[in-house]
Amino acid sequence: MKRLTPQQIEGLVRLIGQTREHEFNCAECQRNIGEFAERQIAGLPLEGDLAGVEQHLSVCSECREEFLALEKILRAS
Amino acid sequence: MVLRLGSESWESPRFPGRADFPLTSRHRLDNISDVVETEVNWPGALRATENSEAVTALRRILLDGLRIALRERTDVNEAQLEDFAQEALLRILERLDQFAGRSRFTTWAHSIAVNTAFTELRRKRWQDVSLDVLAAEGQQLSEPAVLPDDALGADEERTRLVGVLRKAVAEKLSAKQRTAIVCTLQEMPIDQIVALLGSNRNSAYKLLHDARRALKEYLTAEGISPEVIRTAFAP
Repeated sequence: MKRLTPQQIEGLVRLIGQTREHEFNCAECQRNIGEFAERQIAGLPLEGDLAGVEQHLSVCSECREEFLALEKILRAS
Repeated sequence: MVLRLGSESWESPRFPGRADFPLTSRHRLDNISDVVETEVNWPGALRATENSEAVTALRRILLDGLRIALRERTDVNEAQLEDFAQEALLRILERLDQFAGRSRFTTWAHSIAVNTAFTELRRKRWQDVSLDVLAAEGQQLSEPAVLPDDALGADEERTRLVGVLRKAVAEKLSAKQRTAIVCTLQEMPIDQIVALLGSNRNSAYKLLHDARRALKEYLTAEGISPEVIRTAFAP
């Protein structure tokens, strides 16, 4: 394996720092992502389960990518 | 767009920015000027025996959404978008009972379409990666050649951090967890990790979560708390 780049190491350390004892998994994030996106766009508070979505998006690049795509759709509509 | 379902007409949903309105209220088209926005009773329309117009309308909405979501991707053509929309439509019809009404129906449907499309695109990108190679790399992850003390520069704190991280990887992670961390370092999507490890997305996420927790615990015990990390690696 090649020597890790500073970016890779920093990314991993950041990920470790953002880790919580209890986190939403991707399925739980997916279940709530629609409501999260709508409230985010509307500038409404993110309470309850939606805080879990926000944390999941900080550690899961795939769900974050899908959220950004969904947000793009909603903003364009 | 106007949907005609039997003898009644319905207007398809719009997204004017409010997110907290009733989701399943049905409004006749002739009363539409009286309401701020309308929402078709999509689940009802899609479950109806005569659902072909609702299915066609939803498919078109999904396709339009995917065109927006993927317009910057030069590796996606119209035929693929059509396939993604069709696949998403089938999934939505299978999962109608899972729609809980916490968002607009079309928002929920778009989220499934986006997930369908991105999952497939990621699968294609990573389909030739070998698990054996990644597992071997995982075993090397705690070697000084891969994670050298000066990887983040000569700063004393950073040097110590890298050393602690290397020890944490060596002492706290299983072989499978190391492989999963290697996948993460290479920005491999979790769906591909799932395919490689022969598990499901939730199990793969748990594998990674447990690995991150183990590393965090070790770092914290060594005095490298999340606050220290935030300060050291502020974007």
